[in-house]
Amino acid sequence: MTTKKKRSPHTDNDSWVVIAPDSALDTGRSKEGDPSFIKLKNPATGSSSLYLFGSGDVSLYEVKAFSEDFRSWFIGQTVQRDGRLLYVTPIDPLFLLLPYIFSAATEGKFQQVEQMVMDEDYPGCTRLLHCTQGMNSLHHVADEKEVGGLKFHRYNQEKTLEWLKKKVHRTVSTLKKSNISVGGGVKSSMFIRVKQEDAKEEDYLRYAHGLISEYINEDLSKDLLKHLQLPEISSPKETEPPSKKRKLSDKPVEAGEDYTKFNSADFARKPPKKMTAAQKSLAKVDKTGMKSMSSFFSPKVKQEKN
Amino acid sequence: MRVNQRNVFSTHYMDLSDFEADNSVSCRLSSSIPDVCKTEDCCLGIDEAGRGPVLGPMVYGICFCPVSKKEDLKNLKVADSKTLTEAERENLFLKLDEAKTFIGWALQILSPNTISTSMLQRAKYNLNALSHDAAIGLVQYALDCGVQLKEVFVDTVGPAEKYQEKLSQRFPGVEVTVRPKADSLFPIVSAASICAKVARDHAVKSWKFAEDLGDVDTDYGSGYPNDPKTKSWLLKYLDPVFGYPQFVRFSWSTAQTLMDSKAVAVHWDDDEEDGEKAAARQNNTSMLSYFSRSKPSELTHTRDTHRFFTERKLQSINTL
Repeated sequence: MTTKKKRSPHTDNDSWVVIAPDSALDTGRSKEGDPSFIKLKNPATGSSSLYLFGSGDVSLYEVKAFSEDFRSWFIGQTVQRDGRLLYVTPIDPLFLLLPYIFSAATEGKFQQVEQMVMDEDYPGCTRLLHCTQGMNSLHHVADEKEVGGLKFHRYNQEKTLEWLKKKVHRTVSTLKKSNISVGGGVKSSMFIRVKQEDAKEEDYLRYAHGLISEYINEDLSKDLLKHLQLPEISSPKETEPPSKKRKLSDKPVEAGEDYTKFNSADFARKPPKKMTAAQKSLAKVDKTGMKSMSSFFSPKVKQEKN
Repeated sequence: MRVNQRNVFSTHYMDLSDFEADNSVSCRLSSSIPDVCKTEDCCLGIDEAGRGPVLGPMVYGICFCPVSKKEDLKNLKVADSKTLTEAERENLFLKLDEAKTFIGWALQILSPNTISTSMLQRAKYNLNALSHDAAIGLVQYALDCGVQLKEVFVDTVGPAEKYQEKLSQRFPGVEVTVRPKADSLFPIVSAASICAKVARDHAVKSWKFAEDLGDVDTDYGSGYPNDPKTKSWLLKYLDPVFGYPQFVRFSWSTAQTLMDSKAVAVHWDDDEEDGEKAAARQNNTSMLSYFSRSKPSELTHTRDTHRFFTERKLQSINTL
């Protein structure tokens, strides 16, 4: 009934379905430019991700897509193949500034942020410098010096971990308020517990740490785990028993038990047993033009006699 | 003039307005129950019309009368609806309706949309099951109305013995006879077949399209898949996105083949797909990769996205 359908290649959309806060779409101050999508370096993965600058670049939003298989939109009188639902949500710009401030720290000097936040691959990153929220909170992750009205910064790991710890705790309280299941047993967000979940504080901390880790690099994530005094859980991949390796030898591998030895082909090779008188007389019968019985059951069997 | 007259009859004697009010669902039409049927032992015939066509509804009909009146029914000269012309069928339906003092009937009109959605839903509900359930529903309706049922005659759908066993178990105390060609063997089944066929013809002729198709070309022929008129009509009204009007049974292979070749491909998550292809699409790792010496690089490198996002199917994107 169902034939194999070929999927046509993705074509570019000219529209998207987006959920965004009013603040992100506010174009009030006409001079300062409209909100715009931009690719920036994702602080967790280092690869490019899509973000949105609010009008005048003063605020930053991340873009996440709700994406499931087999979804399309009916929009007005059109059909949109891409069934994604895009969420534009506020993000603390400091998360995106942090990698630049961190890499500048290798030189060990105080520098102006403008000098640190430069990226050949993502030239748009300089626009982060307009984000007031990020610029006003640099002191959370860096030491500050002011010389002649100019501000200089240097990455500070202690401060950063403290700042991240606060983020984790704020996330914990939000998780509790939002009634999000954080226990290990729960695998589906659709799963609703009848009984109030008796999740431990550690479960919340771990869950929140995992969420915050989506915005920082892996090393920092591990440091943060220590800072939160949470023991690292070894991943299930590592706890798997080592796969047994067969000893390599030059000899061909042989099966422990050989079921093929009872096949008819092997029988044929054995020396013929003594035949009874009846069999002997049958053997003398002229068999020309006869086919072997097995030839009727398999088209591939060659005629041995003709 | 004759045509006009027939239309007058049809609107008068078989009122399909209940069905026409919403032809996307199943609908039951019935005569009044003759008083004599509530006191005397009755026989009941079941037959269907419009099982094969790709267009229009399938109609199930029952007719019932007291066992003692079987001879009167014979005198009406009801016969297998297929051997009659349309005019003869209309005429016989009129006679049946005039004999309302001892003959009752009821119809279950299964809209093409009901057929499509039943057969194409996740837990497939095939045409035989649909037919059996329609028949059972109608017999139950007669019982609920107080008809003193003793004998039921049915033209078979699928193997006769199994069907007979199913109906006998469902209605203990009623003698069920399932026979192929029952419509030519038992007059009460012939009567049921005439009711069903007349209703089907009327429903198809006066089909009210729920879709905005403008001036619809109603020259769709018999509605059977092998009718060239039907086929060209199907081609004409094939929409690349939506397929067909609800008048068409989507579950028929005729309709599906045309949609597969002419319409946009639509993928559902219960589509059958090759295991490997499905895995590739879902970004799963092929089972084979676990047996090779080195694990695929993506398995060892990237951090897993936090379950908050994966559980909610949320992902970062880098292009719109």
